[in-house]
Amino acid sequence: MIVPFSHVMILSGVVFVIGMFALLARRNLIMMLLGVEIMLNAAAIAFVGAALRWQDMEGHSIVLFIIAVAATEVSIGLAMIVRAHRRTGSVDPEIISLESKKEE
Amino acid sequence: MMFDILAQNPNLAVILAATLLPLAAFVVVLLFTRSRPKLSAGLSIGAMGGSLLCALFLLIRHPSMDVPLQYAGRWLISGKINIPVGFLLDPVSILMLFIVAAISFLVQVYSLGYMAGDPGFSRYFAFLSLFGWAMESLAVSPNLLQLYIFWEIVGLSSYLLIGFWYQKFSASQAGKKAFVMTRLGDIGFFLGILLLLFHTGRLDIATLAAASTGMSPSMTTLAILLIFGGIIGKSAQFPLMTWLPDAMEGPTPVSALLHSATMVAAGVFLFVRIFPFFSTSQSAMTVCLAVGTVSMLLSATMAMVSRDIKQVWAFSSISQLGFMIMGLGAGSRFAGMFHLTTHAGFKALLFLCSGVFIHHFGTNDIETLGRSGCRRQVIPMVCLVIAAAALSGVPPFSGFFSKESILSALAGLENPFWLVAGFLGAFLTAYYAFRLVFLLLFPPGGMDSNHEPAHRNWAMAAPLLILAFVSVVLGFFGKDLMQFLGSSGAGGALHKEAHRAWLTVIALAMPASGIVLAWFEFGRKSSDRKGFVERIPSLADFFSQRWYLDKFYAALVRRVVDGGLSALCAGNDRKVIDESIDTFSRSVIGAGRRVSMWHVGRLQQKLFVMFAVVMALVIYFGFNFG
Amino acid sequence: MPEHFANLPFLSVILGCCIAGVICILAIPEERHTAIKWTAAVFSGLTLLISAYLFIVYDRSLTGFQLVEKHSWVPRLGISYFVGVDGFSLPNLLLTGIVFFTGVLTMWELKTRVKEFFALYFVLVTGVFGLFMSLDLFFIFLWFDVSLFPMYLLIAIWGTTRKEYAAMKLTLYLLAGSALILPAILYLSATSGLGTFDLVALMHPGTFTPFQQKVAFALLFVGFGILAAVWPFHTWSPVGHVAAPHGVSMLHAGVLMKIGAFGILRVAIFLCPEGWRFFAPYMAFLATVGIVYGVLAGLRQTDLKYVIGYSSVSHMGIVCLGLSTMTVGGLNGAVFQMFAHGIMTALFFSSVGYIYDRTHTKEIAQLGGLSKTIPVASAFFITAALASMGLPLLAPFWGELLVFISTFSVYPVRAVFAIAALVVSALFMLRVIQKTCYGPEKPQYEGLQDVPFRLAIPRIVLLAFVVLLGLFPSLLLNVIETASVPFMNGHLL
Repeated sequence: MIVPFSHVMILSGVVFVIGMFALLARRNLIMMLLGVEIMLNAAAIAFVGAALRWQDMEGHSIVLFIIAVAATEVSIGLAMIVRAHRRTGSVDPEIISLESKKEE
Repeated sequence: MMFDILAQNPNLAVILAATLLPLAAFVVVLLFTRSRPKLSAGLSIGAMGGSLLCALFLLIRHPSMDVPLQYAGRWLISGKINIPVGFLLDPVSILMLFIVAAISFLVQVYSLGYMAGDPGFSRYFAFLSLFGWAMESLAVSPNLLQLYIFWEIVGLSSYLLIGFWYQKFSASQAGKKAFVMTRLGDIGFFLGILLLLFHTGRLDIATLAAASTGMSPSMTTLAILLIFGGIIGKSAQFPLMTWLPDAMEGPTPVSALLHSATMVAAGVFLFVRIFPFFSTSQSAMTVCLAVGTVSMLLSATMAMVSRDIKQVWAFSSISQLGFMIMGLGAGSRFAGMFHLTTHAGFKALLFLCSGVFIHHFGTNDIETLGRSGCRRQVIPMVCLVIAAAALSGVPPFSGFFSKESILSALAGLENPFWLVAGFLGAFLTAYYAFRLVFLLLFPPGGMDSNHEPAHRNWAMAAPLLILAFVSVVLGFFGKDLMQFLGSSGAGGALHKEAHRAWLTVIALAMPASGIVLAWFEFGRKSSDRKGFVERIPSLADFFSQRWYLDKFYAALVRRVVDGGLSALCAGNDRKVIDESIDTFSRSVIGAGRRVSMWHVGRLQQKLFVMFAVVMALVIYFGFNFG
Repeated sequence: MPEHFANLPFLSVILGCCIAGVICILAIPEERHTAIKWTAAVFSGLTLLISAYLFIVYDRSLTGFQLVEKHSWVPRLGISYFVGVDGFSLPNLLLTGIVFFTGVLTMWELKTRVKEFFALYFVLVTGVFGLFMSLDLFFIFLWFDVSLFPMYLLIAIWGTTRKEYAAMKLTLYLLAGSALILPAILYLSATSGLGTFDLVALMHPGTFTPFQQKVAFALLFVGFGILAAVWPFHTWSPVGHVAAPHGVSMLHAGVLMKIGAFGILRVAIFLCPEGWRFFAPYMAFLATVGIVYGVLAGLRQTDLKYVIGYSSVSHMGIVCLGLSTMTVGGLNGAVFQMFAHGIMTALFFSSVGYIYDRTHTKEIAQLGGLSKTIPVASAFFITAALASMGLPLLAPFWGELLVFISTFSVYPVRAVFAIAALVVSALFMLRVIQKTCYGPEKPQYEGLQDVPFRLAIPRIVLLAFVVLLGLFPSLLLNVIETASVPFMNGHLL
C-alpha cells in the first residue's frame, strides 16, 4: 500500500505543531529540547515523503544529516542544561536567564 | 674670510671678544670644570678680566670715532620678518659695557673670598659669567628685539643667582617671584616692540632715536608706556617693586652686581637708550616721572624702618632708580645716565661692605651686627661710610654731583611739585642711610665684649678700596662724561640747565638735615635709638609691611590666578568637558545594556514571535506568488 | 645631492627600515632583551641618520616636492603610493627620527614584554613617518589609523595611572577624528571629478567650489584638530600623556600631536584655502583660548606629567595660532614651533622618565631637592622647563616669536591674550621646578644614582637640538621657507 504524499505531509505538520507547542508552552528546558527534537523529526518525515514522491535519494541523505544533527544537538543541549541546572538549581529558562543576569 | 673681516675691523674683533669671553667661560665651567672650583673661578675671572680690558680699549678709543659704529648680521628672515643681530657702539653703550665689565670683574674677585668653600662654587662662577655675557650683550644691542632677548637672559641669570642656595625655600621662592614679576613687565615691553614693529617696521635703536616714527601720537604714547612696563619690571619700580627686596636672598656679591649696580639698572639704561623716542610723547614722560617719584618716595619710607641691612640697600636701590627715572622723565638724559654710573659704583660698594660684615658675623640684622662689633673692621666700615655719604649726596662724593644734576633737571620743570618731591627724597635718603650707619657704629646697648680678631681677606678688601676711590673721585668727571655722552650724534637732547645757586644750597641742606636728624635719633649717646616713624606704630607697621603691596600680590595670585582662573579652567576640564564626554559614553554603554536586556530571557515569547512571523510570511508569499 | 645617491628612494627606505625593524624584533626570541633593544636602537638610528641626511642634502633653492616616488596601487579608485617631501614635511621627518631614536634609548631600562613593546613602537612610528611623507589622501588616512592603534595597546599594557581609561579615551577621541577625516577625504575626492586621491592633482586652484572647501575644511579641521589637541577637544591629551610609558609619551606629545597640526596644514589648508580664509578667525580664537587655558589649567595639576601635558596643549595652541594667521611668518612660526615643541617636550618626558624610574613617583608634592640628589638629571629637566617658558636662545622661543609677530598684525587682541599667557606659563613652570628640584634634600631619595653617561645620551641629543636651534634658527627656517613662501604666493598673496 502506498501512502499518499498528502497524508505524509499532514502527519509531518501535526508532529511539527506538537513539537512547537512543547517548545513554546512548556516551562522546562528539557521538554523544550524535546520539542526541538520532535520538530526536527517532523522535518525528517517530510523529507522522506518527498523523496518517495519524486523518487530522489537526496531526501534520504538529508534525513541522515538531520539524525546526526539531532544527536549532537541533544548531547550539547543536555550538557548545557545540566550546567545551567547546577548553577541556578532550576531548569526554567526565565529563572536561568534572571540568575545569569544577576551574576554579571 | 672671517679673520679678514675681523682684521679690518679691530673694533668688531674687540667687541666680539668682550662679549664672547664670558660666554665661553660659562660653557666651559658648566660642562667641564664643575668639579674643580679653583680652575672654574680662574677661568671665569680671567674671561671677565679680558672682557674688561676690551671694554677699556673701546672706552679710550671711542672719542676718536665721530659716528656710532654699527655692525649688523642677520639672525633670521622669515617672510617679512627680519631679525638682525649685531653691535651698536655709541657712548652710552660703551659706557654701560664698561660699567658692567668693571663691576662684574670686581665682584668676581670679591666672590673668591665671599663664596670660598661653598659646594656650588663652580656653578656660582658659571652663572656670573652667564650674567656677564648677557648683560654686556644687552648693552651693545643695536635693536630692541635683540635687546629684549638678552633682557630675558639677564632675567634668567638673575633667577638662577637669587635661587643659588636652592635648598632654602625662601631663596627659591624669591627667585621665582623675581622672574615672574619681571616677566609681567616684559610682556608690556614685548607688546610695545610688536606695536613698533607693526607700525614702523623697524626696531633699530639708532634710527628710532633719530627721527620721529610716523606713528600717530596716541599710538606712540601707547608704545612708550608698554615699553616702560618692561622698565618698571626690570628696574623694580612701582607697582612691580616688591621682588627686589626679596631678591636679597641671593649671595651678597650677587646683590651687589645684579640687584643694585647693573641688572636692575638695565631698565634705566633702556630708557636712556631710546630716550629721544620716549621724549616724543609728553604725556608718557609725565607718567614716567610720576612712576619714578612714587617708587622713590615709597621705597625710601620702607628703607627707614627695615632692620635687615641688605633690605635697606635694596629699598635704596629702588629709590635711586626712581631718582634716575625722574631725571630722565624730566628730560635730562645726561642726569639719568650720570646717576646710573655713580650709583653703580657706590651701591656696589655698599653691598660689598655689608657683605664683609654678613660673611663675618653671619647675620643680616643691623643691631646685631653693630653689637657684634663691625666697627672694628676698619676698611669695610670706612668704605661703607664713604658710600653712604655718596648715596646721601654729600659733597665731594660722586652722588652729590649726579643727584644735583637730576634736581636741576627737575627744577627746569614748570610744576614745582616734582622738585619738592626730589628734595624730600634726598632728605629721606640721607636719613635712612645714616640711620643705618649710626646703628652700626653706635649700636643700642653697646658692643659685646668678646673681641674677635678680624682677619683681613685681600680678595674682599681690594675691590672695596677700588670702588671707594671711584666713589670719591667720579663726581668730578661729570663734565667729561657729559662731553663723552654728547659726542654721539644720536644724543642731541642734552639739556643745558642754568646753574641755580639756590638749588645747590638746598641740595646741600637736605642731606645735611637728614644726617643731623639721624644723628639726633640714632647717633648721640642719650638717644633712645628710635626713629620718628617708629614713634607712630601704625605708620611703622605700614612701612615695614611694604605698604601691603606684597600681601596684595600674594592674595592676587592665590585668589584670582590660582583660586579663580586656574580652578575655573581645571574644573571646566574635569567637570564640564570630561564629565560630559564620560556621561555621553556612559549613556551609550547604558543604552547598549538596555538593548541587550532584550536578548536575555523571554526565550519562548521570542520563539513564538519568530514562528508567527515565519507563518505570516509563508501565507503572504503563498497568496501573492503562488 | 650627490649624483650616486640621487636615484635612491630614500623615503621608502625610511619606511622599509621601520618595517624591517618590526620583522627583526619579532624574529628575536622573547627573552633576549638586550638583542631586541639593540635591534631597535640600530633601526631607529638608521631612520634618524637617513632623515638627517635628507635634511642636509635637501635642495633649498628649489620649491615644490622633492624625492618624489609614485607607483599606482589601485588605479580603478585612483589610489597610488605617492611620497615626497617639501619644506613643511622635512622638519617633521627629522623630528620623528630624533624622537624615535631618543625614545627607544629612553626605554632602555624596560623589563616587561620588551619584544611586544618595541614591535608596537615601530608600527606606531611607521605610521607617523608614512603620514609625513605621503602625498595621497588615501594613504594619509591609512597611516593616520596605523599610528593610532598601537597607541591603545602601548598605553593599556605598559601604562601607569588610570591606563585603561586613558587608553580608551584617547583611542575613542582619535577615532572620532578619523571618522570626520574619512568622509571629508571621500567628499573631496568625489566632488573633484578627477577620480583620484592624489594630493598634488587636487591642489590645483579651482578644483573645488568655495562652499565645498568650507565644508571639507570644517570637517578636516575638527578631525585633525582633535589630534592636535585644539581646545575644547584637548582633554584626551593630558590624560594620555600621564598614562603612557615615557617613551610613548615622548612620541605622543613630540610627534603624534604634530600629525594633527600637519594634517591641518597639508590636507585642510592645502586643499581648501577658501575654507581656511573663512574659518581662520575661528581657528585663531580656539587657539588663543587653548593657549591661555592650557597654562591656567596646568597651574593646578599635582602630577608632573599632567603639568607637561597641559603645557603641550598651550604650545599646540601656538602652532594653531600660527596656522590661522594666513601669513608666511605665521606658517614658518607654526612649523618651527612644531619642531621645537617636539624636541623640547621629548626632552621633558625623557627627563621625567628618568626621575620617575628612580623615585617611583610623579606626584610633585612627594618630590623635592632633586638638584642636590641627582643634579644632572634635574638640570635636563630644568632646561626643558625653561625652554617651555619660551626663554630666548632656546628653540621654542623663535617659534613663539614668529607666531606672535604675525598674529599681532592680524589679530592684535588675540595676540595680547596669547602673550599674556607667557606670564602664567613662567609662573607654573617655575613652581614645578621649585617643588621638584629645589628645596631640602629628601631622605628617601638620598643616594639615588645620577644619570650615567649611557642613559644620558638621548637627553643630550635632544638638549643639543634645543640649544642649536635656539642659537641658529635659520638652519630650520630656510628649509621651511622653501615651502611657505611659494605656497602663500601661489594661493593667497
